[in-house]
Amino acid sequence: MLRLVAARLGGAAFVLWAVATLTFFAVRLIPGDPAEAILGGPGSQASAEAMASVRAEYGLDQPLFVQYLAQLGRLATGDLGRSYALKMDVAPLVFGQLGGTLVLAGLSLALAWVIALVLATWSTRGGRLAARVGSGLEIVAASLPHFWLATALIVLFSIWLGVLPPISTVGPAGLVLPVLTLAMPLAGFLGQIMREPLLAALESPFVLSARARGEGPRGIRWTHAIRHAALPAISLSGWAFGSLISGAVVVETVFARPGLGRTLLNAVTVRDVPVVVGVVLVVAVAYILMTLATDLASRIADPRLRPAP
Amino acid sequence: MSDLAVQAELGLGARRLAARLPRRIGIAEGLAAALALFLVVAALAPQLVAPGNPLAIDPLSAFQSPSAGHLFGTDESGRDIYTRVIHGAGNSLLIGVLATAIGLGFGVVLGTMAGMLGRVVDFSVNRVLEVLFAFPGLLLALLVIVIYGPGVATATLAVGLSTAPGYARIIRSQLVSVRSSPFVEAATVQGLTPWRILTRHILPNTLAPLVVLATLGIGQAIVWATALSYLGLGAQPPAAEWGAMLSAGRTYITSAWWMSFFPGLFIVLTAVSATALGRAIERRMRHA
Amino acid sequence: MHPTGNPRTRRTLIAGATLTVAGLLLTACTAGPASTTADKPVVGGTLTYASGDAEPDCLDPHVGGNYPQALASTQFLESLVSRDTEGAIIPWLASTWVEGEDGLSWEFTLKDNVFFSDGSPFDAAAVEANIAHLQDPATGSSTGYLALAKVTGTEAVSTNVVRLTLSEPDSALLESLSQPWLAMEAPSGLARGQEENCAAPIGTGPFVVKSWVKQDSIILVRNDSYGSPPADAAHDGPAYLEKIVWRFIPESASRYAALQAGQVDVIDNAQPDTIVQAEQGDSIRHLDAPRPGASNRIELNSSIAPFDDPQVREAFILSANIDDGVASLFQGTTKRSYSALSSVEALAVDRKDLFGYDPKAAGKLLDAAGWTERDPDGYRTKDGKRLSVRFPISTNQSIPAEQSLFEQIQATAKETGFDVRLTPLDLGSWYGALGAGEYDAVSAPYTKVGPDVLRILFHSDGITPAPSGYFANHAQVNDPALDALLTEAGRESAADKRKALYTEAQERVLEGFYILPLYDQQNHYLLGANVEGVRALPTVSTPTFSDAWLNG
Repeated sequence: MLRLVAARLGGAAFVLWAVATLTFFAVRLIPGDPAEAILGGPGSQASAEAMASVRAEYGLDQPLFVQYLAQLGRLATGDLGRSYALKMDVAPLVFGQLGGTLVLAGLSLALAWVIALVLATWSTRGGRLAARVGSGLEIVAASLPHFWLATALIVLFSIWLGVLPPISTVGPAGLVLPVLTLAMPLAGFLGQIMREPLLAALESPFVLSARARGEGPRGIRWTHAIRHAALPAISLSGWAFGSLISGAVVVETVFARPGLGRTLLNAVTVRDVPVVVGVVLVVAVAYILMTLATDLASRIADPRLRPAP
Repeated sequence: MSDLAVQAELGLGARRLAARLPRRIGIAEGLAAALALFLVVAALAPQLVAPGNPLAIDPLSAFQSPSAGHLFGTDESGRDIYTRVIHGAGNSLLIGVLATAIGLGFGVVLGTMAGMLGRVVDFSVNRVLEVLFAFPGLLLALLVIVIYGPGVATATLAVGLSTAPGYARIIRSQLVSVRSSPFVEAATVQGLTPWRILTRHILPNTLAPLVVLATLGIGQAIVWATALSYLGLGAQPPAAEWGAMLSAGRTYITSAWWMSFFPGLFIVLTAVSATALGRAIERRMRHA
Repeated sequence: MHPTGNPRTRRTLIAGATLTVAGLLLTACTAGPASTTADKPVVGGTLTYASGDAEPDCLDPHVGGNYPQALASTQFLESLVSRDTEGAIIPWLASTWVEGEDGLSWEFTLKDNVFFSDGSPFDAAAVEANIAHLQDPATGSSTGYLALAKVTGTEAVSTNVVRLTLSEPDSALLESLSQPWLAMEAPSGLARGQEENCAAPIGTGPFVVKSWVKQDSIILVRNDSYGSPPADAAHDGPAYLEKIVWRFIPESASRYAALQAGQVDVIDNAQPDTIVQAEQGDSIRHLDAPRPGASNRIELNSSIAPFDDPQVREAFILSANIDDGVASLFQGTTKRSYSALSSVEALAVDRKDLFGYDPKAAGKLLDAAGWTERDPDGYRTKDGKRLSVRFPISTNQSIPAEQSLFEQIQATAKETGFDVRLTPLDLGSWYGALGAGEYDAVSAPYTKVGPDVLRILFHSDGITPAPSGYFANHAQVNDPALDALLTEAGRESAADKRKALYTEAQERVLEGFYILPLYDQQNHYLLGANVEGVRALPTVSTPTFSDAWLNG
């Protein structure tokens, strides 16, 4: 087990290094002089002296390899560089925004689970028609684009009914619509994944024997079947997290909610490279940790998974 | 878009589930097929279903709500939204299809390399895929856009590239499982050449699921590409493209909901019909 | 050395008009019945302001100097002088001022007992420090720097008298000093260095910057020792509000919905459809405060083909149907302009006769100019070259309705044979396109009080980029006769002569078809039902909450 953990950690470290390397060299592909970008882009028409001093200050006059090593060194100490547009260090900016986005993503994941479970159990219990309606609902939910769903929810709940706030700043009420927006499509995906194992589990010997012992259908589902149904979906939490972060880009923008996604979009729009790279790296780290955790957890929980496929 | 990873997971599930479902064509499948046909017609020959000009303005009849004259209403410049949505099908579907093709292309190359060229290549490709997976969803696409600047071409490329790792992983596992299947082993025992085994046995059994994957993928690719347009990073107004139309409509959402509703509806319908069709094709292939 | 300005935001300048300009600077219009509980101000409470403008990258308006900075800094910084709604200069931090006989020196007497919010005194030395800060290239000021171009020296005559010396007479000096971009900051604050000062400038204003979480909000709290309002303020002493939460909500629909839901109390950059909705109801009120200076217009690049030919410029103007678009897109919230200047400028010359919609006449002009052939797409050509117009649009500066108007111009001009190529760009790329001269038409807002804006926009000096890289003469008008008129007008202090000069200059610009006027620079605020006492400062129409309160 210990060796497995070590191997996984080593793999994660490799991926981290590769991600940092890839972003470093990808950013060099951007046309134009980084010194000019630091000075405010092509519109600033910075003087040659200013460019030279920026080059020296940021080490841009060094050979590429030296710059690369310096960048890795900075990253290792948690220094993500300095934003061109916001004139502040990227690390405090990104970590300051991380919390809000994690709350949003965590709540959405939880709600998606609840919706998916309820839908899946209901539709497997209700016969063929319910099964079809349920799976249809899941497909439709999974096809809903976040930006459209968000707008529709705002129109419905904020403008027409006036019951929920259209922007998400402080307070729990502001979280309702953003969380719903992120949870519904995800629930569609999760529901589709859980449906089949749920059906399989319901027909498995231990459920049949439980039924024979006289346990009610509800008890059977919630205790035995769901555990099985949940396994494949749990193993996808890493994917779900990534999808939620992508969704957060849209949702935080529409609901004017401070967070990583909105920060990322703003930075992309003005080509604030250090912020884009900073957000990408932080999300990558979070994603890797998440996958690592779910991977190890499911291996510990399910001994069958131990021999690597 | 590692949605593909999920699609694969779903595919496996649906495959097993299919045995339980009746094999005749359901109402939902029929609807999905009809819808897909309509969208393809709209994309290839929009004039057949919407004879108007999607760019024709008429400022004096701006912001009209849906009516017999303007089925989906008009936008801020008095352009007919029905005409624009129909003419937008071409742009939006093209972006989705191209992005899927790009993703699938890279995916096939990487996946085949990993699945066929031995352990060292397999190991390396898998590491590359792991790295690419660490840029989940829109992230890789946004990185591409930062490098190459916004626009339709970049958005298409961005969505394509970010779907590639998902395809590659599925294709690889498909290849591995086909290669180790009894009939391929039998063929090997019979002394068939590796090339013959590849072309006669492995590829047909691998490519068929690709059709399913591509169908499923197009829907998601369209959703992502329109999301980029919506964020102002893809197609730009006044182009009749669904994401760009939605982006223009969001300003007027409190007074003209139809400007956003109908383009969004068509995105959803397209994604739903692609998913439903993909599933249906898959089921049929399993039973063929 | 230091980056200047925020590339995401509007470049706006304000400088002088004469003391004699008596124009209606600001029209405030409120929809719905006036509140009946408005009589007695309520002390306390938190007001939430939602701005649709970009978030500044620095709260010190000396650095760069754009409108989003002005919006925020109006709450915590104050200027030497202000303007009333008639356009007259009134006391603010300076109580009196005298111009020297030769016009080459000015003496300002400062209010007594004014302190910055950190307790340091506001005195002549502070004024000196501020002017030095603005003129220091390291500050990276563009707006304030330009406004002080003629100021060559400052001298503290006594603790509360400061003298400015000029290189030549500048009748616009007082208006320049009224700008929020030339507001007075504590020397102790400036001394902290740019990074720290940007985060929380220290001023004398009614509120104090408590904290600023970037990408989220600025928290402003009441300055309890405040006592230096401009002469036209409704009350003296500290503000009624205890706190202002200053948020950034770029989505206009979300901003309006938040106002409707009571999540925010005031929004800016209200879009036409929401204004119309607000005016139909009676809970939300509308404050219409068009910005002074230039009208919003399309500038035609007269330095290169095809617009180097006046006939082609005129043809373009006649081929664009503006009126129908303004009516439908702005829904009655603004009027069509036929002038180079904002309608609030008393000296604005209106030439409705020049800017009609007449595709037939446009076609004839193009025929005469040699653009006679048509290619298969229906666009006119000359010597095998298509009649195309490159039109980069700054998505940060043109509101959605304006971008839609450009799309309509594209559609109507196509009928005459123009191929208008709209390219929406972020501000950095847009500046890049302008700097590289890669445009035939462009629309850039310009805020500046008084007709002196004409000099900035149309004097040939404005073709050469300023040190900051910005150049304002986008039409690239290079007309020595016009230059002479504008220079003379800038130095002329006699009202009637000045008016004659500016009128002649405007006629030259309009008849030269260098610009296509659209409407005033839009500046609409919407206020929640319980918000009272908000007004836009008659300088550059930024809102002030010094006299504002919230009814319970």
